[in-house]
Amino acid sequence: MEYLSVENVTVSYGIHVAIRDATFRADGGEIIGFIGADGSGKSSLMHAIAGVGNFSGSVRFNGIGYRSAKEAEPLKPLCAFMPQGIGLVLYEMLSVEEHLDFFADIRAIKPDSDFLAYRQRLLRMAGLDKFTARRAGDLTGGMMQKLSLICTLLHRPRLLILDEPTTGVDPLSRIELWEILDQIRREEGTIILVSTAYMQEAARMDRLLLFDAGEIIASGTATELLETVRPMCYLPTPGSGGVRTFDATYSLQPLDIPHAEPTLEALFFVNALKNNRLLPPVTLSGEEKIPFSDDVVMEARGLTKRFGDFVANDRIDLNLRRGEILGLLGANGAGKTTFIKMLLGLHPIDGGELFLLGKPVRNAHDRRTLKASIGYVSQHFALYGDMTVRENLLYFAAIRRIPSQEALEKTARYALELGFSEYLDEMPSQLPLGINQRFSLAAALLHDPHVLFLDEPTSGVDAIARAQFWQLLIALKEKWKIAILITTHYMSEAEYCDRIVLLRDGAKVADDTLERFYAAHPDAETFEDIFLEYYR
Amino acid sequence: MKARVIRAYIAKELIELVRSRFILMVYLLPTMIMLLFGYGIRMEVTDARALIIDNDRSFLSNRLISKFEHSRYFDVSLDTSDEADALRSIKQARTDVIIIIPESFEKRLLHGQSTQIGIYVDAAFPSRGSTIENYAKGVILDAAASLAPARSAHLITINQRSLFNQAMRDEDAIVPGLIGLVLLVAPAILSALLIVKEKERGTIFNFYASPLSKGEFLIAKLIPAFLLHSLNIFILFLWAVYVFDVPFRGSFLLYWGVSEIYLLISIAIGMLISVVTRTQIVAVVLTVIITIIPGFLYSGIIMPISSMSGISQVEAHIFPVMYYNHILYDAFLIGEGLQSGKTLSYLLILIVYAVILLGLGRLLLKKELG
Repeated sequence: MEYLSVENVTVSYGIHVAIRDATFRADGGEIIGFIGADGSGKSSLMHAIAGVGNFSGSVRFNGIGYRSAKEAEPLKPLCAFMPQGIGLVLYEMLSVEEHLDFFADIRAIKPDSDFLAYRQRLLRMAGLDKFTARRAGDLTGGMMQKLSLICTLLHRPRLLILDEPTTGVDPLSRIELWEILDQIRREEGTIILVSTAYMQEAARMDRLLLFDAGEIIASGTATELLETVRPMCYLPTPGSGGVRTFDATYSLQPLDIPHAEPTLEALFFVNALKNNRLLPPVTLSGEEKIPFSDDVVMEARGLTKRFGDFVANDRIDLNLRRGEILGLLGANGAGKTTFIKMLLGLHPIDGGELFLLGKPVRNAHDRRTLKASIGYVSQHFALYGDMTVRENLLYFAAIRRIPSQEALEKTARYALELGFSEYLDEMPSQLPLGINQRFSLAAALLHDPHVLFLDEPTSGVDAIARAQFWQLLIALKEKWKIAILITTHYMSEAEYCDRIVLLRDGAKVADDTLERFYAAHPDAETFEDIFLEYYR
Repeated sequence: MKARVIRAYIAKELIELVRSRFILMVYLLPTMIMLLFGYGIRMEVTDARALIIDNDRSFLSNRLISKFEHSRYFDVSLDTSDEADALRSIKQARTDVIIIIPESFEKRLLHGQSTQIGIYVDAAFPSRGSTIENYAKGVILDAAASLAPARSAHLITINQRSLFNQAMRDEDAIVPGLIGLVLLVAPAILSALLIVKEKERGTIFNFYASPLSKGEFLIAKLIPAFLLHSLNIFILFLWAVYVFDVPFRGSFLLYWGVSEIYLLISIAIGMLISVVTRTQIVAVVLTVIITIIPGFLYSGIIMPISSMSGISQVEAHIFPVMYYNHILYDAFLIGEGLQSGKTLSYLLILIVYAVILLGLGRLLLKKELG
């Protein structure tokens, strides 16, 4: 029986210890899940085991033992490693087929009929058999990840290490990735280590290792782990103390309210409570925006965008009402980002019309007005790493031509209400992602926009920060009546939206409220099930 | 050594270079440097603007003036105004040199007495100034020989011959040095990019996580740079000989061979840079700084190493460009080849350089995250 045994592995960068004394064991055919917040040491441990980063301690895989990256060389023919980030191991200029050839060559795989059949099977499993001539740079994020995965599988590794392979990948591609993993593990008996930010995926793993602040704090099956937090989980009850999210209240002290079924998110919250590491609460003050008569803030009629022959957005109608959260969902490459860029005035509109507060947006002047009434948070928060939070905010205020007195007041107030005032004079790079998220949001709100666009603001952010970010968005909607348009790959987040628009291949395939989606699909348990209905 | 792995990497690099059109840069950059510098640098002075103040107005002073007028180095204008005006015109950059013929110039000469001719040279650019000064002296000396039939002049004649560059052409002096510059800069940039590109993108993990050895990876990365730039050795040769009309007197085989060794040094420098840098932009800037400055300064284009002193002499001997350029100038202008002990020893030094730098790259390259 094959096994992997990791003993007291410590990885440090200078004085910073990324992971301390990690110890665990895995057997052939097992999928071990690494879960934990960003920076909790998952990637560092994976680097150490894959022999691509230095460490102390020892790792043993079957007969091969190693105590440093150098000693790990004998492991490499048996191991495969996929680092974190979409398409990181791919060469943009090479086609799918050229990738397979290249990886087969560097792994010196004999091109016999056996291999060719296996290769063809992998291609089919990944749904890439029809795209062998397409360059990696032209693939969608989901396809890139599937290609990366089958490239690492070509030499039939005995140990497969995948660092967040599904982050930023649409649900459909995610399911396909997991099907590949499942099949490989069953047929080849491979040991698979995989980290993920999607808690639904954690349920598919045989065993979970829970990481926190550079240590493995718990391990076991999902059910075992859930049992440990059951006593701290309660039904969401306002005013009961503890920390409340949408589906639960967590408290270390016993509360006098009914218990709730624990979810994997609970692991993070309970752990954060134990270590007193929750972010400061958000306390938005009430209504203060100038009300405007029309309820529809923004309306798109038949918006179309073409790139050459390719139609990225095909006659999309969409309206955004005051005080609602609209989720824009779709697989990678469905046209979400293109659509948002048109709404932002970054892409010229090739067809259709756009109305802002009832007025059409036609010329450059209109577009300037458009930009002035939109707040935008991009996927990678556009913050300046060399300026403190305060300086960043004042800078954004200045480019929006907000008088400095007002800018100072607003910065102070937003910092207080959005709960980051204690971080105002620190550099963004030293702050938790959750705080960066909040202050990017503050930066986008400085000029009192009517509409807020958020492009995958929660991608790669851990469960707690995500949950709190959504609480903040809902507070913005309710208290400030801002219309919010958000794209996300976390189907669980769709549940927080008032209305959902589904895009597929550049066209709108559905547009309805959450309740009516569920009513139309009575079998669906989660929104992910509904989403897949439209894609299958 | 796994030939298949290396072949796969080379094929991949070539596909990427062609599809990203970087290949154009590989062949355009050397040619561009060659043409820009080849036409751009001019050391010799022609048509220096000379202002002659003739205070004598005699037959002999006229003869002297006509000597200046007939020289292709001077563009003469006569001025009767005073010296102050003439100096002003030099200040205003309307004149490069002022020549003042004193009163009773003819009379003193005929009486066999010595006389002084004033030369004021604009020496804001020292080398240009001293060149003009020398030209002016030459014209006067020449004139003296024919003007004064008396004793002195015939006693000394200068029998000057320029060796190796008889025509004293700038091209001959500059273009071979440019080859030394180009072959130091361009291959280093390419080889640095080939490795850093993978670091920046993340594809370097394919190497980290594979059984590929460091040596194999380096060979796979360096061979494309080496092969592609080997073609430049020929292209640059053609530019030099057929466009700039530089003579080629040595052995082509020596030129080719030593250029390939020099190429190895250059790509090894690029590789060393790729070891310490993480992004492509930093790699390019660093490579350009590290190669262009010594490549230009110690190329012998601006001044010969032998006329340097102190620290600059030492520095010149540290950079490989001096050794290569010595062999290069020999191959183009002299043709002594390996018969000269110096050429042979320089060739050996270059080989040692290549071996050390490549070895160092192999040693310093990491197969894990830094």
